Amino acid sequence: MMVDRTITIQCTGVEMTFKKKQALRNVTFSTNSGSIVGLLGPNGAGKSTLMRILTGILEPTGGLVEVLGRKPDVETLAQLSFLPDRGQLPNWLTADQWLGYASGIYPDWDITLEREWVRKLEVDRSMSIGTMSRGQEARLQLLTCLSRRTKLVILDEPFTGVDLLSRERISSAIAEETAGGDRTFLIATHDIREMESMFDRIILIGDGTIKGVYDTEALRDEGHSVESCYREVFA
Amino acid sequence: MVRSHTLRTQKGLVNDPMPPDMIWRIDDFLIDPSRPLYEQFVEQIRAMIAKGKLAPGTRLPSVRETASSLRVNPTTIMKTYQELERLSLLVTYRGQGTFVTNEQSAITRSRRELARSAVARLEELAQSIGLTLAQFIALAKEED
Repeated sequence: MMVDRTITIQCTGVEMTFKKKQALRNVTFSTNSGSIVGLLGPNGAGKSTLMRILTGILEPTGGLVEVLGRKPDVETLAQLSFLPDRGQLPNWLTADQWLGYASGIYPDWDITLEREWVRKLEVDRSMSIGTMSRGQEARLQLLTCLSRRTKLVILDEPFTGVDLLSRERISSAIAEETAGGDRTFLIATHDIREMESMFDRIILIGDGTIKGVYDTEALRDEGHSVESCYREVFA
Repeated sequence: MVRSHTLRTQKGLVNDPMPPDMIWRIDDFLIDPSRPLYEQFVEQIRAMIAKGKLAPGTRLPSVRETASSLRVNPTTIMKTYQELERLSLLVTYRGQGTFVTNEQSAITRSRRELARSAVARLEELAQSIGLTLAQFIALAKEED
């Protein structure tokens, strides 16, 4: 396994204000390639806003953001996979039709990866998206992210409403995909206990500000778990 | 299970690795989330080798397969395997995978180190109640 430690995301003093409400204040952190980074914080902390800035969907009102070496825009959006919170796939299609459509719109679609993940995530291609459970649809969404050869995968709450076995399949897929060494995962989640052994680094965010950025093995070296650190910061 | 493995370098075989002899399961390990994970994997795999639960020559799953089945960061598994290689308990053959060593001496050394650290812990416990190790053991064996 080759480990390439280039920086994939660099945020410096990022600010975001909606009308009078300040959603993000002085947000600074970075992520390295080949790592799994957890973006953790209570509801309304600014996680989704930050992710939308990283994908280039929103422009910050202040500070510097670099994703894959440049300011996020349509170009960077094409080079990363994003699983949005409350994202919905077209419910009138079957999984197979959706994958056919997705493979046509993404130039970096890899049919071998698609086949591999369809099998490992146990996605039924003939099933209509409209009749899928939350877990089945979440697996199909993740599959859509993983079937592209992107260096950065941003997942906003991939586990919400997803059953235990589907969550396990999704976590296994993320761990496996990171082993190649050149993919970065940024994952916003509340499933801390289940995900804590997956993270290289955690970014704790609350009230729009960074409460701490920690490398997880260094935390454990001082006798803290990800969960205890989260409690200390937010309780 | 003892297996011999010769280094196969012909093209094809290198790209077509053999399946591992086993797959790690989450229940194989007891992990404390507030201690470095790689240290715990090293300790526990080392104990499995010392106890013979993992036989010499066993082909282990790759870093990728292990990260997936244990749902653990791949860097942690990579560091675990590297440390066990440094301890001569695992050997990696390029294109073939990672195996438990067939070197009995490395296994014996590891067993001795396990025994030493257990005795050291016991000695500490004995001292904490003002006894030597021998007195401590005698006390434990005394009848009520």
